[in-house]
Amino acid sequence: MKAFVVPGRWVIIVTMMALIISCARLPVIEPVGLAAMPDTRERCHRPFLDSSYRFIHAIEVSFPGGRRGTVMGITLVDPSDKTVHSVIMTIEGFVLFDARYEKEMRVNRALPPFDAEQFAGYMMDDVRLMFLAPEGKLADAGVLADGSTACRYHGNKGTTVDVVVHKDDSWNIETYSNSNELLRKIRAVEVRNGIPNMVELHGFGFREYTLRLKLISAEAVSPRVNQAPPGDIPEDEE
Amino acid sequence: MGILCYCIFLLGWANTWEDIRRESKKIHSVSAQFSQKKHVQILTRPLVSKGFFYFQAPDSVRWEYTSPIKSVLITHKGNIKRYTQGEKGLVEDAGGPLEAMQIVLQEIGRWTRGEFTENEHFSATLKGGKAPSIILTPKEKGMAAMISRVVITLSPDRQGVIKTVKIFENEGNHTLFEFTDVQINGKISETLFREM
Repeated sequence: MKAFVVPGRWVIIVTMMALIISCARLPVIEPVGLAAMPDTRERCHRPFLDSSYRFIHAIEVSFPGGRRGTVMGITLVDPSDKTVHSVIMTIEGFVLFDARYEKEMRVNRALPPFDAEQFAGYMMDDVRLMFLAPEGKLADAGVLADGSTACRYHGNKGTTVDVVVHKDDSWNIETYSNSNELLRKIRAVEVRNGIPNMVELHGFGFREYTLRLKLISAEAVSPRVNQAPPGDIPEDEE
Repeated sequence: MGILCYCIFLLGWANTWEDIRRESKKIHSVSAQFSQKKHVQILTRPLVSKGFFYFQAPDSVRWEYTSPIKSVLITHKGNIKRYTQGEKGLVEDAGGPLEAMQIVLQEIGRWTRGEFTENEHFSATLKGGKAPSIILTPKEKGMAAMISRVVITLSPDRQGVIKTVKIFENEGNHTLFEFTDVQINGKISETLFREM
C-alpha cells in the first residue's frame, strides 16, 4: 500500500510541475496597426547584421559558484550565407578554439575546456543568435507594455525567439523552449552606429553560464577577400 | 603562452649552452615593456596587445597587459594570481586556467635556470652568431598539437636581453613578442609582486 502511495504523490508533483511549466507565459506583445508594421519590423531587424563584420571582444565567462575567466574572441560573421567563423584565445594570444560554420561545422582547433562534446555547436548557436536575424517565422510584431518594439519568431523545433528593441536602441533577444522555458537571454547596450559596446548573454537550463562581451573593435569586411591564406607568415617576422 | 617567454630575459647572449647557463646566474631582475602581435588567419592585421613585464629572482613575475584588455598575472613565493578586467574592474580569476598556468610556470623555471637541453617537453637548438637564437621544438605529441615551435631571438649587443620571442601554433597562427626598454638588475619594488 505504502509503495503505491509514494508513486501517487510523485505523479501529483510531476503533474503540478508540468502544469506550472505549461502555464509559463511569454511576454505579451500588443499588436500595432498595419501602418506601423513596416517600421516595427525594421526596428526589430536593427540588432542583426546586413553585411559581413569582424568583431574582436574581451569575453568574461562566468559560471554559478564563482568560476570566472576572461578570453578574447574574434568573430567573423557573413549574413549573406550565414557563415560564422569564431576564434577564442587567451589574453596571451594562445588559440583555444577555432571553428567555422558554413552549412556544416568545421572545428580547426579545440583545446580543453573548449573540446567538450557539442560545445562548438552550442557556441555557434549563441553567435548566430547575437548577430543573425532569426530563421523562424515571424509570429507577432508590436510593442511591449513599456513601449519597446518586439517581434516574436517561431522556429521549426518549437522554440521561440523574442527580439525586443528598446527606446534607447539597446536590445534584448530571448529564446524559449516549446514549453516557454527561458533558454537564452541576450542584452545589448551602449549601442553606437548599430554596434553594441557591451553584450551580455545568459544561458539557462542544464548548464548555466554568463558571457559578457566587451567590444574591442568592429570592422566591416569582405571575408572571402580578406582572409589570409593558411600558413601565411610575414617574412619580416621570421 | 606568452608568459612562457619571460624566462628568456634571464638568458645571456651566447654561443654555447654553457654560456647561457653562466649568464643566467648573473641576472637578478628584469623589467621591460612588451608588445604582442597575434597573427590569426581570421585577421588581416595582427591583434596588438601591450604591457609590462617584471621579474625578480628567484621566481617572482608580474606580467601585466595594459591594452586592449587590462590583465595582471602575478607569481610570488609559489602563489599564482591572475586578475582580469571584469564588470567591476580588475577581478581575480577563479578556475582552471590558473592550474594550467602552474604547469607553464614550472616550465619557465627550467628555462630560467638555463636548462634547455634537459627539458622533457622541448628539444632545443642554439644558433649563435651575430643574431643568436634558440629554437624549441616539442618532443611530445600533446605539446606539438598546440605549439609547433618557439623561436627566441637574443639581443646581439646586450647580454641577457631578449629581442623577440615567436610562438608558432598550428594552422598558420603565431604570436610575436617584442621587448623594449629592457632594464637588467634594476631595483623592483616587491609590492609589484604582491599587489594588483
